[in-house]
Parts: sequence; C-alpha cells; structure tokens
Amino acid sequence: MSSADAEGARFASQRLLPGLGPEGQELLREARVHVVGAGAAAGPALLQLSQAGVGTIYVDDGADVDGARDGDAASWLYSPGQVGQPRIFAAIEALRAASSFVQVRAFATDAEPTATLVCAQREPVARIAADRARRAGLPHVVALGNGDGGTVVTIPSGAPCFRCAFQPGATLPPRPGAAAALGSLAAVELLLVVARLFPGSGTGRRIDLAEGWPSVQPTVRTLGCDCQNVY
Amino acid sequence: MSALHGKTALVIGAGSLGGPAALALASAGDFRIVLVDAATVESADLAGQPIFVEADLGQPRGAAAARRLARLFPRLEVVASSRGFDEGSASELVRSADVVVDASSHFLTMFLANDAAVAAGRALAHGGLLNFTVQLLTVVPGVTGCLRCLFEGPPPPGPEAGVLGPLAGFAGSFLGAEAVRLLEGRPGAYAGRLLVHEARSGRSRSVPVKRRPGCAACRLAPGSRAPLPGGAS
Repeated sequence: MSSADAEGARFASQRLLPGLGPEGQELLREARVHVVGAGAAAGPALLQLSQAGVGTIYVDDGADVDGARDGDAASWLYSPGQVGQPRIFAAIEALRAASSFVQVRAFATDAEPTATLVCAQREPVARIAADRARRAGLPHVVALGNGDGGTVVTIPSGAPCFRCAFQPGATLPPRPGAAAALGSLAAVELLLVVARLFPGSGTGRRIDLAEGWPSVQPTVRTLGCDCQNVY
Repeated sequence: MSALHGKTALVIGAGSLGGPAALALASAGDFRIVLVDAATVESADLAGQPIFVEADLGQPRGAAAARRLARLFPRLEVVASSRGFDEGSASELVRSADVVVDASSHFLTMFLANDAAVAAGRALAHGGLLNFTVQLLTVVPGVTGCLRCLFEGPPPPGPEAGVLGPLAGFAGSFLGAEAVRLLEGRPGAYAGRLLVHEARSGRSRSVPVKRRPGCAACRLAPGSRAPLPGGAS
C-alpha cells in the first residue's frame, strides 16, 4: 500500500464528516500546532491531535514525569517506568508511537507554528502563553482546568483575547476524566478552527464545563482592551 | 488503597468512545476494569482511538487496550474478556460488574447492554456519537428512564457516519468520569437526563428521560414494582 493510500485509509472515517472532506483533512495535514503543556489535559489533546492528522506538533513543556503528581498518571502518555524523565521527550516518544503521519518535535525558537493550543493548570501560565500566541499572530485555544470541569476559550482571527474572555476564579486540582475531557474539547475547538469549520467570522467563544455539562457563550471584547487579533 | 478498591467496571467497546472512557476510568484508582471488544485494531481505528498505537495493528482490540492500561496504570486490574458481548454473555458480564459503560458503536449492542443492565439492576453510563453530535445518558434501573424509554428500539441501519477523534475523546472522557461518580456512590451527572452536545455550535441541551409506561426493559428491572412517576403503572 502506498503512503497516500495508507493515509487515505487512516482518515477515511474522519473525512466523512460533513464539511470536512479531503480539503479539510489537507488543512489539518498542513497545520503546525504548538501545544503548551504535556500534563493531564494536554496529554489527551496531544494524542488526539496527532491521531486526527495534524501535520506537525511542537511539544512545549519543562517538567519531568512525576510519579506523585496525579496529572501525570492521567495524561495517557507516561508509564511509571518513565518517572524522572523530561515530559517533553516521553511525550514525543508516545506521540510517534501513536501515529507515523505526524511530525513531532520539541518546541524551539525556530519553530513556525500556524496555531497554538494552551493547556494550563494555572491561570497566569495560560495568560502568558495566550499573550505570546496573540503577539505571534496565531489563532489559539486555551484550556484551564478546575476540579470537575474547567474552561476552554477559542480565539480565532478577529476574536476577543483570552484576557477579555476569562474571569479568574478558584482553581482546584482536576478530577479523573475531567482534565481529559477538557483537553479533548480544546483539541476539538482547535481542529474546527484549523479546518475552517468554526462558526462565525471574527467571533470567539468560551465553553465552561461544570460537573460534566458544557455551556457556551460568545466572548466579548472588554471595554478598553485594544486587542484586535486579526491574523 | 483508593475508595474504588474492590469495585468492577464493565466497559463495552474499546474503540473511539470506550478507549478514552477506559483511560479516564483507569486514572481513578486501584479497581477492576473488564473490557469487552472482539474486533481487531485496524488502521482507521488509529485516527481517533488514543488507547491504541501503531504496534497494535491487527491485534484484538480488547487485549491491546488492556495491555496499554496495565502499562500506564499498574495498580489497576484489567481483564480483556475473551467473550464478545452478545445475548449469551451479556447477563453474566453485567452481573459481574458494579457499573456498566456502554461505549459500543452498534445499536443492537447498545440496546442489549441497556436491557441487561436494567434487568440486573446495574447503573449504565451510555455514550453515543454521530458526526459532530455527542449524547450521554445514565440509566439507574428502577429510578430513571432507560434507552428503550427514550428510543424504544434500535433505528434501521443508515449510511456510515464520520467520527472526529477528539470529539469521541471528549465524550469518552466524560463517560469515564461518570462511571467514576457512579462507582463512588455519587449521583450521576446524566442520570435521567440526556446530554446532547453539538460541537460546531458548541451548544448543549438537556433532555429529561423519564420511565415510560410499558417499557419492555424497565418492567424487568428489580425495582419494577415501584410505581412509575405520575401514578402510571
């Protein structure tokens, strides 16, 4: 089987999605996604972006695999035998094993991403990473966990920035499954943006997850914020 | 030792919904998961089933998923059932579990799981996926409505629908989290109400699922003598 045939067979079911088709799959293949984080929410997102056919993924994480940290066990990426290894290398190994159709690299200054996904445990980290993506002119999605749920903010071109969309609140450690759901939802949002299936033009949205229930609202530019975010 | 020690979750289907559900469940502690999936891992599975890697191609899905879970979560006891989930095995498999996760993609299996769980008095967490739409429902036998109360029976076969891997991951993770709630003895988030989430619009709605008089499954539930809500019998 040729490489093109193998790729066609791999993504045949996904290409049946209304509005996606071969053109949308090609947009995913051309995408280069910078993923910030490699923990409980980012792990499932990384795996699923690789498997969905995103062409290049840059992994960006500075922590080591920690056996005592619940999020590392829940990330779907690391086994207890990898405790002490840098998460970035363990994650790259796991993603390459999952799909040979994706290029996976460590994020570095010469990387040229076309979109960013931020999965953070703490709001200041999310804010800094979102600001960097905005200044780089990249559409981005930010996921921030909180106990049995969390928030996903989607910022395509022209949408209000993360600072406009997010109201800080208490941040609790993620419960089993909730962080994975949050990361998966963030991956869905990013794929919709990349494949040009995200509804509206110049609009963003915020999806809150609470006790297993999502609720969506459009984001609104805060009075005085000069973010334009036209990429 | 976790609060779930000694409990068993039965996961029917180890594919796009069942894989994430099992992974989410597994991160909850040291208990037992029984996986039932008689299919083998194919290339198309790897587009949206994060429990498998390319080295699993051609392997039985249940066994491949069990190997991955055991490697990531060594405190867990994982069993890949060698039997398929069919009319001959459904009752015994369901009765061996404390909670049932229906992550099958086949309508006949979904209704078989529903009927077996209701008859055995086991809570059932059900997930379904069609294109960009996800649905989740928890059935508490004798208390809430079941799949047959809502749909009566399987729909006729239709054309193959597409699956967006991360959306299945989203639904499967919620399914796993729901099973953890049920194993912990907490009320299910989807008990008696169907969550319908459409990914492109981002919108969700809640559909109440009450016990339907005359439901063929609910009349076999252990608590079926309890009066139906509203005085119906």
